[in-house]
Amino acid sequence: MSQRKLQVVLSQAQGRDPVRRGLEEEIAASLLLEPGVDLGIVPHLYDLNPGHTGRLFMENIHGDMVVLSWLYPRAAYWLLDRNGIGGKLGETSILAEQPSEEEEENGEEQKPTGIGSVKEVNRTIYCLDLRDTRDHRKYLEEIRRILAECKDRWNTAPDKPSSVIQLGITKKVEEQSQAFSQDDMLKAPSRRWYPVIDYSRCTNCMECLDFCLFGVYGVDSLSRIFVDNQDSCKKGCPACSRVCPEQAIMFPDYKSPAIAGAPVGGISGLKIDLTKLFGGGDALVVAAQERDAELVKDGRDAVGLAVGIPKRQTGKQSGPKDDLDNLMDALDNLEV
Amino acid sequence: MMGKYAAVMMPGLRYHRTHFWSRPSDAGSTFGFTSYAIRLMQDVYFLDWQVNAGDKVKLLEQIGHIETSKAVSDLFAPVAGMVKSFNQEVLSDPSLINVDGFGKGWLFEMECDATAGMDVHEYMKFLEDNWEKTQRMLKGKINSGDD
Repeated sequence: MSQRKLQVVLSQAQGRDPVRRGLEEEIAASLLLEPGVDLGIVPHLYDLNPGHTGRLFMENIHGDMVVLSWLYPRAAYWLLDRNGIGGKLGETSILAEQPSEEEEENGEEQKPTGIGSVKEVNRTIYCLDLRDTRDHRKYLEEIRRILAECKDRWNTAPDKPSSVIQLGITKKVEEQSQAFSQDDMLKAPSRRWYPVIDYSRCTNCMECLDFCLFGVYGVDSLSRIFVDNQDSCKKGCPACSRVCPEQAIMFPDYKSPAIAGAPVGGISGLKIDLTKLFGGGDALVVAAQERDAELVKDGRDAVGLAVGIPKRQTGKQSGPKDDLDNLMDALDNLEV
Repeated sequence: MMGKYAAVMMPGLRYHRTHFWSRPSDAGSTFGFTSYAIRLMQDVYFLDWQVNAGDKVKLLEQIGHIETSKAVSDLFAPVAGMVKSFNQEVLSDPSLINVDGFGKGWLFEMECDATAGMDVHEYMKFLEDNWEKTQRMLKGKINSGDD
């Protein structure tokens, strides 16, 4: 029988919202009593800078992992991937919308068109969004389901447990390395702001590199776009995300779900972006305005649409992609 | 109109290009989503305002965000003016928008020019005139990966 445990990482909300803290505490309390599970608590994932103990702790987890955070799962997953904490994205069922039969029949699943992650790590990371429900029991149920799923996998394809060292601030802290003290792991990092690329969508078109005039983006040794200088990014500015033709750039803390990493692919998350219909301007114009505002704040000249604006989009607008089903469903028997 | 089921409009209100209706009130005007907007969006899950009561807003300034079963959208000020209040009931239970969009599902009150906007006939014509464009826009989004 496998003695392996499922590592659960609870990432705290920014600030001191008592409702959010309350949910975190309820979940933590129930997980501490849960067999088969190790719990580690870290500050908000997005704010963890490279030297932060909480991040080092996560980098040292080598097996399957559940990450509970106040982020969309897609944002949490690619954020971790960018930080070298990779794995396959596990499917979760918490509050997932069930597609109607009609949608299922006509459903045309979007094929991933992106360039994908650099390294494939043979483990699964399950990301749960703590905004889905305020009921801590739902998370516990889902973690139990995931644990059962992991156990099946561990039993059919046993890993090398001896080589897997799971470090954490858990119930078993006395048996484990003291490398990560709870105080260090929870040390409040300062707020950060930078883009996160979803490589399952990114086609390496480099339009973000052309558009951003603050040196945030770079190209790695494999000629892939990456967020090179995270902290050069301008706080609050999501302009490059609007320019991206694949909606692959997320700002996990941005207020609009589409930019913060709300699901845009797969069966459950397909939504039409009606912003233009409701009076919104062209995404590129908005992006150029946001960029100009930051340029001016830096004492530089505004460039408007003159620099780094792709020529591709006549008649197109950025926004979550959608499939025909939703259109048909929304507009009823469109005769086209 | 534009689909199998007609979106029923209420006469006597002002209508705006941002698909809000408005009704003159003591504060200026009360605003809500038109039945056309609600038909497109369907069940409202989440509504968020990015301005506060007392804020002055410009025409088409972004004031909020909505997520529904079928759509997401930023929301923009239908007129220039000052936001007086938001319907708190709708914030805690956005389904009121679907249940009673022209009544209890109102969204916010603004101190503004109460005569701004179109009458119901003008709005219907606006919808008819823009229907082709709307279809193209929605289709464009959907096919943008293929064409």
